[in-house]
Amino acid sequence: MQSFDHNAPTERVSTPPLAASALRSPKSKARQSLVDTLPLSLSQSEVSLPYRRSHPSAASLYASTFSPPGSRSQSPVGGRPLSTRTIDSSVFGAGPNNGLALAAGAGDSPGDPLNLILRAFVPHVAIYTSEDTDVLLSEKGFDRGLWELLRPFGERIQGKVIIRDSNGSSRAYEDYSLHFTRFGEGLAHPEPISAGLRSSQGPRANGVSEKPNEPARSSRSGTTIAEVEAVVERHLTYAEESVFGAPHSPTNHRPGANTPSPYYSLYLRRLLSGLPLTPHETFAHPVACVIAISSRNQAPIETLRRLYTDSSTGDKRLPNWVNGEFLRYYVLVHDEEKDDITRSMSLFDSMKRNLGLHCHLLRIRGTRSLATDDDSIPLPRCEWMSAAEELTELRKSEDFEGYEDPTKYIFESDATAIRTFIREMVMQSIIPTMERNVSLWNDQVASRRRGIAGRFIGLTRRWGFGSNSRSSGSGSSTGSNYDSLGFYQADTPEAILRKLADYAFMLRDWKLAYSTYDLLRGDFNNDKAWRYHAAANEMAALSLLIMPQNLSSKTRAETIDTMFEAAYYSYVTRCSAPYGALRCLALGLELLRLRGGSSVDDAARWGIRLLESKILGPVGDALIKERLAVCYGSKEGIGTQAWGSRRRKSALWNVLGSETWLAQSKFIQAQRCLNEARKTYSDLPTDYGIDKFSHASTFMANIGQALNENMESADRAEEETAGAESEIVDEESEALGGNGRRRASSFGFPGGAATANLESAPLRSQVDVNKVEEEVEEKAEEKEEEDDDDEEEDEEDDEEDDEEEEEEDDDDDEEEEEEDEDEDEDEEESSDEEQEHERTHGREQDPNKAKDDFG
Amino acid sequence: MSYYFVIVGTQDNPLFEHEFGTSKAGGDGQARFPDQARHMNQFIVHSSLDIVEEVQWGGTGQMYLKCVDRFFNSYVSCFLTGGNVKFMLLHQPPSSAVSSTGGAANPRSSTSTIATNPTSPQTEEAVRSFMLEVYESWVKAIMSPFYHVNMEVRSPVFRQRVAAAGRKYL
Repeated sequence: MQSFDHNAPTERVSTPPLAASALRSPKSKARQSLVDTLPLSLSQSEVSLPYRRSHPSAASLYASTFSPPGSRSQSPVGGRPLSTRTIDSSVFGAGPNNGLALAAGAGDSPGDPLNLILRAFVPHVAIYTSEDTDVLLSEKGFDRGLWELLRPFGERIQGKVIIRDSNGSSRAYEDYSLHFTRFGEGLAHPEPISAGLRSSQGPRANGVSEKPNEPARSSRSGTTIAEVEAVVERHLTYAEESVFGAPHSPTNHRPGANTPSPYYSLYLRRLLSGLPLTPHETFAHPVACVIAISSRNQAPIETLRRLYTDSSTGDKRLPNWVNGEFLRYYVLVHDEEKDDITRSMSLFDSMKRNLGLHCHLLRIRGTRSLATDDDSIPLPRCEWMSAAEELTELRKSEDFEGYEDPTKYIFESDATAIRTFIREMVMQSIIPTMERNVSLWNDQVASRRRGIAGRFIGLTRRWGFGSNSRSSGSGSSTGSNYDSLGFYQADTPEAILRKLADYAFMLRDWKLAYSTYDLLRGDFNNDKAWRYHAAANEMAALSLLIMPQNLSSKTRAETIDTMFEAAYYSYVTRCSAPYGALRCLALGLELLRLRGGSSVDDAARWGIRLLESKILGPVGDALIKERLAVCYGSKEGIGTQAWGSRRRKSALWNVLGSETWLAQSKFIQAQRCLNEARKTYSDLPTDYGIDKFSHASTFMANIGQALNENMESADRAEEETAGAESEIVDEESEALGGNGRRRASSFGFPGGAATANLESAPLRSQVDVNKVEEEVEEKAEEKEEEDDDDEEEDEEDDEEDDEEEEEEDDDDDEEEEEEDEDEDEDEEESSDEEQEHERTHGREQDPNKAKDDFG
Repeated sequence: MSYYFVIVGTQDNPLFEHEFGTSKAGGDGQARFPDQARHMNQFIVHSSLDIVEEVQWGGTGQMYLKCVDRFFNSYVSCFLTGGNVKFMLLHQPPSSAVSSTGGAANPRSSTSTIATNPTSPQTEEAVRSFMLEVYESWVKAIMSPFYHVNMEVRSPVFRQRVAAAGRKYL
């Protein structure tokens, strides 16, 4: 504990600014070019957009997906705190493994799904502070207290974190992270299982006293799909608005095929952030609780005791399905400017004497830091804020004109102190505590179940764990610990096993995690605890897939498919928890994809299942379609003809994605998908791609046509300079180049027509007009009018939506429904158009059929 | 059940397309695809070529590859000729809404499993018979001295024969 005292000053001198330190490893420097091409960095708030339609200061809110032109030239060290995150390839260790090749490489990019998974399921640390600390922090400019200040720093812990697994071998991770939460926030309450299942409800001291707190706590019930959709929707809209007229739209740079689109990453990230505190999984349960007081406190030790009591037995106590024996970590926040350090030092010493070694003295400056200060650095934006929170922020930025850039600044010395604090807390307190708990629970609870006797006991369902479970087990005659309120209490073996498995998962001990989840699956199934059952199946499948070992296709079919099936069924049908199903299948899709080979087909199958399930909103629908295209595209074939690849399927899903985006007026995304599809079709070893299938290629041509009209009309509406427009056209024709030319020469029908039309007006007249093309053009003109109408309607709709948002800021669901309706209408309209076109086209085909020669 | 039958040449080019419906169990032989299925059927069949190529070289040396692929409610069966021309049959069991109207003429209880279960052995047998019969006509059709490889076949006789085979088996 002395360490901070002599560490802090030296670190303060030697540590480069936040951004630089994030980039220190040579590896990440090499990767910088990659990161630069991804519009994912968090810190582009300082970059001024050359053209911004609205809310200039809101740009930073969208920085995670929107890459302003010119961001690539930004100096890597300039202002990029926390943006470069790397996974050491040692995550998966050495050894043969079919997942390894892809997984190790894929973990490098920050938006990568595997990386997201690793960083979503991390220890959650609750923060509980005294009032004087809140005052201190609000003077410093952080209205939401210490939590707001610490949160971004938890997302990357400086240096390597060494974790010992259950076999005693240590491994170092560079990318470990924590999530800070506010104590008692995000509680989601279990739905009581229907009454009458178990008639004998013994009185429970805990279960009853919990009731009074319920209304206050259940205000926020975790992430909903609608919120995630709304956030991503806003990002997309922002991109649509901003990108027209910008010379280099994100459409035009094609990152590697495996790189997910920033919107997909965002979607997954928001899906995984803000995990609610629920009984059926313990990821969001606090692993530790930071109890903080400030140096201004008059009765420090008493306050600490009071806070401790609050958090364990008092009003703020967590419900009885949360294990209350988490680590308490006491922090004394010292104000460097107003308070006396010697007094704080002596106080800190007495804290250590009274409360044990889990203490820290955090020295920060008590004044607000401004951007203009010499040694100020911007506080990095929190990447893992929940969807609801980001939504609120985005709404705020839309609602009022004088919205300020939300970026806050802190002193560099503060940042260093906080980083040291977090590192010390993780290395010396949290990780060792978790390791100890894992081995304890593993010895005491899990190993009993694994032996032969355990199996026998498990079969008879007549086993108890000490006297605790007997007394709290409500004396139900079935011998089950599953409560009639719909949860296991924290001291039942099932709950402890679940916690053990989750800890093992967070410590990346996949093997232990998997074996424990596997144990639990059966138990929960026997108890008919469906939500638990679903979650255990989900995590068992995920940990099995992350494990670096070969899976035979048989194992996959037998184990993983069963688990996903069970999880999906339980989530959707038994619990009607679509969020769980979505998370489960989306993550399963990603992990299976990373394994390559025939797993790709499985991945796609689950993706299609997800689409079939109708639990996705419109944005998610399009994103998953797009992702399926990537997924199929990542399967490599054999030989010159690439047998066994799935390029045609990939292209099909891109077309479908494009169609879906177009229906939502997300033209940039639609264009990108369409370009991908065209490219894939033209890269096929066969001569014609899809061209000879007349309806299909006409359909593609129509999408392209509609896109062009829309983009052009948007440009006209913008009164943008002709220069920018022509540049866009250049880019497009470049992207389509080989394809278009080849099609035009080989066949001259819709593919060619589409590209000809892409290259704006003058060229159109030069195109040699055959009958079919004439028709396409007529169609296009009709469509132009209709699309213009559509656009106006859309704009009106948007305005209406905005107004509604102002009125009912909190009511997400209603608004979502209305948006859905709007989009449905659009889809109907567009499908009408298609039908009409097909009818005309069908008539035109008939004479051909009637001709009765062979050519 | 609605069928979309297409013969695909070696360069992914359709040589012959035909849509028809089931004639079993009181079906009128009309295809009941929704309008937007026109292009979707083509896309689906085209994308199934990926699977066909994989199965073609991986396996058993059979010409009839059975049901190779599935896309939501559409199932694709394939038959390979000696010249690497692929007979692709997309079959779509009626969705519940459609079947209620279609089955009004004849109660569903008496229908064979062909109409309801696209992966059952009966269906596979029926498709095989259909494919073999079409193959026979196909060979005769392309023996025409004016035919060369990958040329579209527009013979009404051939179309009639395909339709007859469809009526007979599917």
